[in-house]
Amino acid sequence: MSTSACDRMPDQPSSVSSAVPESPIDADHAAFITTAGVSISVGSSSADLLPSITRGIGCRVVPDRLRASVFVVAEQSRDLLDDVRDTRRIAVVFSEPHSHRTLQIKGRDAVVEALEAGDRDRIERYRAAFSAELGEIGFGPLFTHALIDSGGGEVVAIAFTPCAAFDQTPGPRAGEPLAHAK
Amino acid sequence: MTQRLDVIRDCLEGAVPGIMATCAADGTPNVAYLSQTEYVDGRHIALSYQFFNTTRRNILANPEARLIVTHPHTGERFRLRLRYLRTETAGPLFERMKAKLAGIASHTGMSGVFRLLGSDIYRVAEIERIPGAALAPPPPRASLLAALRAVSARIAGCRELDLLFSDTLDGLEAHFDIRHAMVLLLDGAGTRLYTIASRGYEASGVGSEIPLGQGVIGVAAREGTPIRIGYATLEYAYGRAIRAAAEANGLAAVLETEIPLPGLADSASQLAVPIRAAGRLLGVLYVESPHNLRFGYDDEDALVALAGQLGATMLSLQQASELQEEVLVPEPLAQPAAGRPVLVRHYAGDDSVFLDDDYLIKGVAGSIFWALVRDHVESGRSTFSNRELRLDPRIRLPDLSDNLEARLILLRRRLNERQACVRLEKAGRGRLLLTASRPLTLVEVGQGGARPDGACC
Repeated sequence: MSTSACDRMPDQPSSVSSAVPESPIDADHAAFITTAGVSISVGSSSADLLPSITRGIGCRVVPDRLRASVFVVAEQSRDLLDDVRDTRRIAVVFSEPHSHRTLQIKGRDAVVEALEAGDRDRIERYRAAFSAELGEIGFGPLFTHALIDSGGGEVVAIAFTPCAAFDQTPGPRAGEPLAHAK
Repeated sequence: MTQRLDVIRDCLEGAVPGIMATCAADGTPNVAYLSQTEYVDGRHIALSYQFFNTTRRNILANPEARLIVTHPHTGERFRLRLRYLRTETAGPLFERMKAKLAGIASHTGMSGVFRLLGSDIYRVAEIERIPGAALAPPPPRASLLAALRAVSARIAGCRELDLLFSDTLDGLEAHFDIRHAMVLLLDGAGTRLYTIASRGYEASGVGSEIPLGQGVIGVAAREGTPIRIGYATLEYAYGRAIRAAAEANGLAAVLETEIPLPGLADSASQLAVPIRAAGRLLGVLYVESPHNLRFGYDDEDALVALAGQLGATMLSLQQASELQEEVLVPEPLAQPAAGRPVLVRHYAGDDSVFLDDDYLIKGVAGSIFWALVRDHVESGRSTFSNRELRLDPRIRLPDLSDNLEARLILLRRRLNERQACVRLEKAGRGRLLLTASRPLTLVEVGQGGARPDGACC
């Protein structure tokens, strides 16, 4: 029997659960959010229900897709990082401008971490893919770089267990969980 | 507040979609892309409500939101803290957003998917510039304030209504680089607009009509609000809308399409600004361009200011001309014209007039023309005064607010454009001179009379 990866409590070791956890995203989704030139937007909320938001500049997903990390520029994301540290809530939207294909992944156990080896390369690859994508719809590379500029400042990873994922491509099915949208 | 909302209005044009975070009552955050963000005033913003989705559920339960908007040229980003106040589902703001959304939908391949259910209004509590690089903005095309000043000065110098319209359109071209424009006036019954002057089209379209509520122009007039679209959309293509309405309404309405509305076939950006004065709508100033996103918030501001001055000047020139009208003295009878007679037909039902088989005009301008040619033929008169026309029971001026002089301008231009055998010239203050180069044979056709075939196809 499988169970949602979210059925685990945030700090509960995975070995406590007898069921095999299952990610709400499949390999195709994982490839989409890590390699396509998608726009990445990261949201969280404070304990007193004030939402926070920032732009992501890349994404990493582990092979079993039970853990995802989005990269954000610390200086641009102070409220959001405070909220993640405090409430551990996260919502991330990935949207491909030319096709409007959009999906949202949510988590309840987010933590702020330092970048891992290879993450700088992931961010560079993301920058190239996003520039190419925006180039297709008429935005020059300088514009795209300004949009996802880190200014040389600190970049951190927000790691979380995807516990729910939704199709958010505009249209009547927007908002449906991915499992049903497939 | 570190930034004023009006200073970052360009970020709301939607070149880069806004991204918004909300959270549910249990704290679960949600992020959404926005099709449309609309500047309302210095402290309020409106967002399009298109689907009943998580964002919608969240803001109804917890009104707090955060939004990131991006400058379309510099890439600068601003984070706004918002508080949801209310949703409007009708009225000027709603119609403005509905029209703009139709353009966005068409541009992004989302026609049929995007439909505005409401305009969600938020108070902007805080604006923060997100640290990061910014590109240099492109140099401005022109100083809009300098352009406004120049055209404003021209308007202030106008002494005649006819020149007011042509000077305004000339000024738009010379100082705003707006090459396609028209002025339409509201008829006295307040149900339709007629074109009084235009620039930049193959045919002037003077005399063409558009019902209130149709297309960008008709909606701007009905709602009394500027309507601005950055991308072409069939939904608001006025020519198409009018043709469809005419087809649905049968033969009588077909005449409305007899004089085609001027308009760019490849129009992309459109801006219709109501002309208002003394608390009422006088008409619409309309400009368009084949380029996407040609008109921004600042262009809209400039043209709204200009339309205000245009309206006030129209009223004052109209009043001045009424005060100055002279009483006519008896005149010598006109020499009868020679040549083959022209058949002038008048249809009582809608006051439409045909010269032989050519449609000339209908409505108030048609009844004025009919009265003039009757007096010309029956009693040999050639000179007429505005004052007598205004009081003439045969001319069905819908009410006192109807602008007789504008109708005369329209009639004069139509006759000139048709190179008709009858012409009207100004002959002193508030006086008109009618000349006919051929004899006129008048035929009055009652209700339901058959029209010449050529006019109805």
